Amino acid sequence: MRKNREIKLIFALLAVFFAGFLAVPMISVLVKSFTGDGSSVSLSHYAEVLTGRGFLQALWNSILISVCSALITTVLAFILAYTIHYTNLGKRYKWLISKAAILPMLLPTITYGFAIIYSFGKQGLLTQLFGRQLFDIYGFNGLLLGYVVYTLPIAFTLINNAMGYIDKRFMIVSRLMGDSPLQTFRMTIVIPLLGTLATAFIQTFFLCFTDFGIPASVGGQFEVVASVLYTEMLGSVPNFGNGAVVALVMIIPSVVSITVLHILEKYNVRYNKISPIEIKKGVKRDVAFGALSAVILICTLCMFIVMFVVPFIEEWPYRMNFTFEHVQAVFEDRQLYGVYINSLMVAVLTALIGTLLSYGGALVTARSTVSGKLKKVIDSIALVTNTIPGMVIGLAYLFVFTGTPLQNTFPIIIVCNIVHFFSTPYLMMKNSLSKMNASWETTAMLMGDNWLKTIVRVVTPNALSTLLEVFSYYFVNAMVTVSAVIFIAGARTMVITTKIKELQYFNEFNEIFVLSLLILFTNLIARACFQKLAKMSKRSTAKVYHFAAKKAA
Amino acid sequence: MLELKNVKKSYDGTPVLTDISLNIEDGEIVSILGPSGCGKTTLLNMILGIVDADGGKIIFNGEDMTNVPMEKRGFNIVFQDYALFPNLNVYQNITYGLRNNPQISSKEEVEELISLLGLEEHLSKRIGQLSGGQKQRVALARTMVMKPKILLLDEPLSALDGVIKESIKDRIKTIAREYNLTTIIVTHDPEEALTLSNRVMIINEGKIAQFGKPEEIIKKPENGFVKKFILNQLEIKKNNIYTLFAGQLQEQAQVC
Repeated sequence: MRKNREIKLIFALLAVFFAGFLAVPMISVLVKSFTGDGSSVSLSHYAEVLTGRGFLQALWNSILISVCSALITTVLAFILAYTIHYTNLGKRYKWLISKAAILPMLLPTITYGFAIIYSFGKQGLLTQLFGRQLFDIYGFNGLLLGYVVYTLPIAFTLINNAMGYIDKRFMIVSRLMGDSPLQTFRMTIVIPLLGTLATAFIQTFFLCFTDFGIPASVGGQFEVVASVLYTEMLGSVPNFGNGAVVALVMIIPSVVSITVLHILEKYNVRYNKISPIEIKKGVKRDVAFGALSAVILICTLCMFIVMFVVPFIEEWPYRMNFTFEHVQAVFEDRQLYGVYINSLMVAVLTALIGTLLSYGGALVTARSTVSGKLKKVIDSIALVTNTIPGMVIGLAYLFVFTGTPLQNTFPIIIVCNIVHFFSTPYLMMKNSLSKMNASWETTAMLMGDNWLKTIVRVVTPNALSTLLEVFSYYFVNAMVTVSAVIFIAGARTMVITTKIKELQYFNEFNEIFVLSLLILFTNLIARACFQKLAKMSKRSTAKVYHFAAKKAA
Repeated sequence: MLELKNVKKSYDGTPVLTDISLNIEDGEIVSILGPSGCGKTTLLNMILGIVDADGGKIIFNGEDMTNVPMEKRGFNIVFQDYALFPNLNVYQNITYGLRNNPQISSKEEVEELISLLGLEEHLSKRIGQLSGGQKQRVALARTMVMKPKILLLDEPLSALDGVIKESIKDRIKTIAREYNLTTIIVTHDPEEALTLSNRVMIINEGKIAQFGKPEEIIKKPENGFVKKFILNQLEIKKNNIYTLFAGQLQEQAQVC
């Protein structure tokens, strides 16, 4: 099969990459967990962890807090999305909601904790405004708040997209058939969205269960699995074997949730056509949901105000004078500034290589005629990367690459990010490529292009806007991720998020917030640029189509 | 009788319909015909009550309906893509409205509709398993169960292929006759409009270009638009058919 040579080469590259950086590390975690003292096979680590004081409690805590957060987040996200799709509020207001709702995504979760401490803590900004502490931030409450804010953007994006694909004309049918408003709501919104709501719930559960950043700062005495894992591995008495066991326990809920998600996918209602309709007038509904959404967003975003205040004040909360001192100090501190440059470099390289890899993978599965088995391998890789929490990947890399020249280097951080976030970019790419006309390659080849030329001249220009989206996704996530890199970043290869973790020990909150602001603004600028570029590329391809259509006519 | 008096509608300052007045008798099948963007769907939505008119009146049997909400008007519609609930089977879709108003149609009436539309063998199927023509009939049945005072059909034939098209045409005619039901159809296809309805209303650029019986439109087109776009199209179709059957026609002529 000469014609698939290039595709097979891509496949081989991907297979080797993921064998080395996903399969081997994961197997080593498994092996480590079964290796007792010395090198004999034993269950001693399992026995030690599972009977150890506090672990089952931590597991229960993790499940409890994740279920609570996921429930609250899903409901809140639904309200926000409903406001956008089913009220007659102004376009600008809706635009504002959709942008504000995803804002927290641009910050590392480790910052959330400090924002909570400085907002709701004893000396916090909001505590001072209200005159008293609203609730105890360490433990359950703080975690709940952090998790909800952290997962709201993801749940919102999911539900918001799905609502956009509901055919709203069904509401007319339902009303004409004499349904009461409640029945219409159930029949035309809740039932078609059931799959998505469940997906949002499971996805947020998974994110809460595996996040490390938030418990690292506000966990307090409320132990969760992620904090147990961190202490086992990097605490005062590291125990790699026990760490491996904890990591494997962490995977179980992810495997379960991803499996459930797969089953749920079948139940998603698909409409063949989306028709815009005029939403029934309802001033009361509009005001209620407009206000509710405003309250939700103000509550989630208000805890970040402190980030913009504290670094510009001499000494919070004692000497409240405005100053640029701290910001200046960060930029003058060669080490801190260097960390920012490191992060930027890691993010750009992750995005660049990650985009190429996911594009390659998608080309194999969406635009080639190689056997289904090969395609299945790629799909499974994506699925597996989606299942494995970042902390577990980081830990696996720690096992495998310690002592090799790759230890504590930038390449290993970059590879780790690429593997950790591979699933979503790959699915985005695959989705976009499979929508394109299937006969392009054949046509181009008949015109004398070879495979590479076709990809360069036809497929890539048409996939450009998705490629940019993928790039942006990788970039932002590489900027904010902490869970995996915490185990593999070395002293000379610090990125911002790991630096923040280190600064926590010295209570350097000014630096923490300035660095967080740097991440936020970098991400904001990057996203804005990529969106602009994607729009431009879409327009230019549309122009080409238009031109071609004109010529044809 | 449905009456529209000087009805107007514009979107963001652009007029879509200007000063539409018309009368439709009970039991009549009327087609609204025009090119895309002429305002015919807006007119349909306005009669149904999804879209409010900017000016003018909609009167049904002497009662002013202009400000009556959609669900109180008692009209009903079958959408172009049928809008059948994908999570319910055929029978559940057909009897959907009965859950809310059980007295609206008796069991016998529902059964009669099902047999009139030939749906007996499909009742337990899921919507995804149906062909286009079958979906169309299910949607018709679901709407008819509600006993609408006026039946609105949005492009009822455009998604169907040849033979099915003709059979659905017959079903629509049968239903209108059996139930003496005022039926308003929106379409962009002159052949469909002229062969299906008692009267045809041709709309162009938000105005009524002509409103009359099919034979009147063929014999006395009132303006250039009707001639150029409506009759021309039919003329071409006619000639194509004549060319196809030229041999046969000659034979027939010789026999005579």
